[in-house]
Amino acid sequence: MFTNYVPVIVDGLVDAALIFFVAVGLTLVFSVARVLNVAHGSFYALGAYLSVVIGMWLTGHGWVVASLAALLLSPILIAVALGPLIERTLLRWTYGRPEALQILVTFGLFLVLEDMQKLIFGVQPYSQDTAVQLFGISHISGIVYLNYQLLLIVLAILVAIGLRLMLKRTRIGKLIAAVVADQEMAQTIGIDVRRIFVLAFTLGVFLAALGGALASPMIGVAPGLGAEAIVLAFAVAAIGGLGQIEGAALAAVLVGLARASAIYWAPELQPVVPYLVMVAVLLVRPYGLFGSIGLRRI
Amino acid sequence: MKCFKSIITALLLAAISAPATAQTSKPAEVDLGIFTFTSGPGAAYGVPGRNAADVVISQINASGGIGGVPVKPIYVDEGQGTNAVVAEFRKLASDSNNQVMIAALSSANCLALAPVAEQLQLPTFMWNCDTHQLFLKDKYKYVYRTNSSTVPEFVADALYLLAVKPNVKTVAIINPDYAFGRDAGLIFKQTLKALKPDVEVVAELYPKLGSPSFNTEISRLVAAKPDVIFSNFWGADLENFVRQAAPRELFTSSQVILALGESVLQSAGTLLPDGVIIGVIGDGWWKSSTAQANPQTKAFIEDYRKRFNEYPVFPSFKMANTLYTVKAVYDKALATNKGRWPTRDELVAAAKGIKVDTLTGTLALREDNDGLVDQIVGVTQKSSSYPFPIMGKMVRYPADLVTPPVGTDPIAWISKLTPTMVANAPKPGSYK
Repeated sequence: MFTNYVPVIVDGLVDAALIFFVAVGLTLVFSVARVLNVAHGSFYALGAYLSVVIGMWLTGHGWVVASLAALLLSPILIAVALGPLIERTLLRWTYGRPEALQILVTFGLFLVLEDMQKLIFGVQPYSQDTAVQLFGISHISGIVYLNYQLLLIVLAILVAIGLRLMLKRTRIGKLIAAVVADQEMAQTIGIDVRRIFVLAFTLGVFLAALGGALASPMIGVAPGLGAEAIVLAFAVAAIGGLGQIEGAALAAVLVGLARASAIYWAPELQPVVPYLVMVAVLLVRPYGLFGSIGLRRI
Repeated sequence: MKCFKSIITALLLAAISAPATAQTSKPAEVDLGIFTFTSGPGAAYGVPGRNAADVVISQINASGGIGGVPVKPIYVDEGQGTNAVVAEFRKLASDSNNQVMIAALSSANCLALAPVAEQLQLPTFMWNCDTHQLFLKDKYKYVYRTNSSTVPEFVADALYLLAVKPNVKTVAIINPDYAFGRDAGLIFKQTLKALKPDVEVVAELYPKLGSPSFNTEISRLVAAKPDVIFSNFWGADLENFVRQAAPRELFTSSQVILALGESVLQSAGTLLPDGVIIGVIGDGWWKSSTAQANPQTKAFIEDYRKRFNEYPVFPSFKMANTLYTVKAVYDKALATNKGRWPTRDELVAAAKGIKVDTLTGTLALREDNDGLVDQIVGVTQKSSSYPFPIMGKMVRYPADLVTPPVGTDPIAWISKLTPTMVANAPKPGSYK
């Protein structure tokens, strides 16, 4: 029986960090636009693909250290190129419509984006692990970890704090919070709600693509990545309470630790553990850990 | 009226039961339905298979085709799912020029197609179907496996391990979570239990097929501190595992066996240290002395490398050897018929018991339609001639040594193996 808990915690937190980036984007878009975006996983996959391709190009031209920039550049490019476009042309028609219609539209978008990935990038897996090599390794409890894995935990914490500060302290954050609290009232007092929707959706796309880009040095990027990410992100968002940033963070940690624990002590349960956690939480708190009926808050 | 109904019924029954496409006149071309993955994670093996088919069919056609008739491949992507694959199989079966099918790569598709091939009375050669369950319960007349099965493949790995590391005490297993991975885990464990009963399995992990990250599993494996780690990951999973495990020093902390490792030597082999045990699941190693001694094989390798800018990997040879076996079956049937074009039943009869000189050795089709192929196992070894490691200290285990005899339950056969088998088997380094 394995009795050293430190590696379980480290592995769980690394897993949680990657899940958090996707789940927090999903929950942000839901809290503002009240749309469950099934295509969110595709932005994660696109972030990973673009990061790998740009990284490979830079590394191929001898700019090895500069290839790290691809990890930030690719989510920015994807968010700027796809965020406003998709929100204005497709998503806006689903606002206020039944959830079933929203899910069908975003699922259709997911299928289109998945096939686009195959058309553009092909079906063979891509790997670009320059970042992993550059950051080296550390020994924790006798196990070799990539420093890049540990960096991911720090980055996830920084993003969570940054998002909270942005929403609380900046003008744009306060505008988003106002729209989340009462869209009609926000419109009445002169807030351009359509612009806030575009901004929030673009930020959600950025966070998903950032998750994919940051995961890309440690994984093989291949078709199917988006589906894997969105299913887990939905579970995490539901556990945390849809629309809750702190909830997404705590839920990601719970799911990450549960998955790592399963791999160490009960490998057979690993595929279902996130959903067991979800069922357990929703049985006790049907609106998630931080969710509540009626009150809209971000 | 009753008589009329009887005639109609008889005609309908005759129409249903008669093979719709029993061709006996020489066709303008030999259509070959070839099932492989050209999309999805399976494409990592499927595409080298398809590439090999392109090269071999070009070579066969350049030398006069089959019985003077050119061969035309019709590729079907197994990535579209088993139901669609079965539908495509049925559709191709109605093509009067398509007397033989080469299917499939996925074990799941093989198991689904075998009864369909039998129902349609269509000779079908399973080119990369590893599951030992193919002929376990059902007997087929029209289905052959031009390949070895999981049992000889993983028994060979266990034999090699005990030859190079006789004092092994603890083993961990990490395989994909589906029949191929689970079967391999069972076969490897049972073989070790029979050959060295004191070996303990300290961790058994079956992550989802196509999982993008194995990092937590790698931590778990390192934490278990096993003497040996066995894996039958393949395709994208194998490459991901190597890329993720190498920087975390997994390959130096334990003796690792990559049962299908030859297929990543060119793409990710530089990440592997010397001494990682590498399997070929068969005899398809392009640099083996058998392959290099055969001018036809050298021509195939050169043509393949020129076209695809890489050397053929073992799935390429599985496909190539299957195509040459199909040609040999046609040639034998044509000779038996004294030149008359064979029917499907005559092709099946010709396949029975045939022994073919392949590009990498020999393939014998046994009386139970299963293939007998030698197993090559070795270790990674840095090369001064290539920018990637090659296989060293190789063993070529004879097919008869590692394959359960006809009519025996494979797992029961494994349980009856004894430690003397290791002593009597060829030694590492005995095959150059």
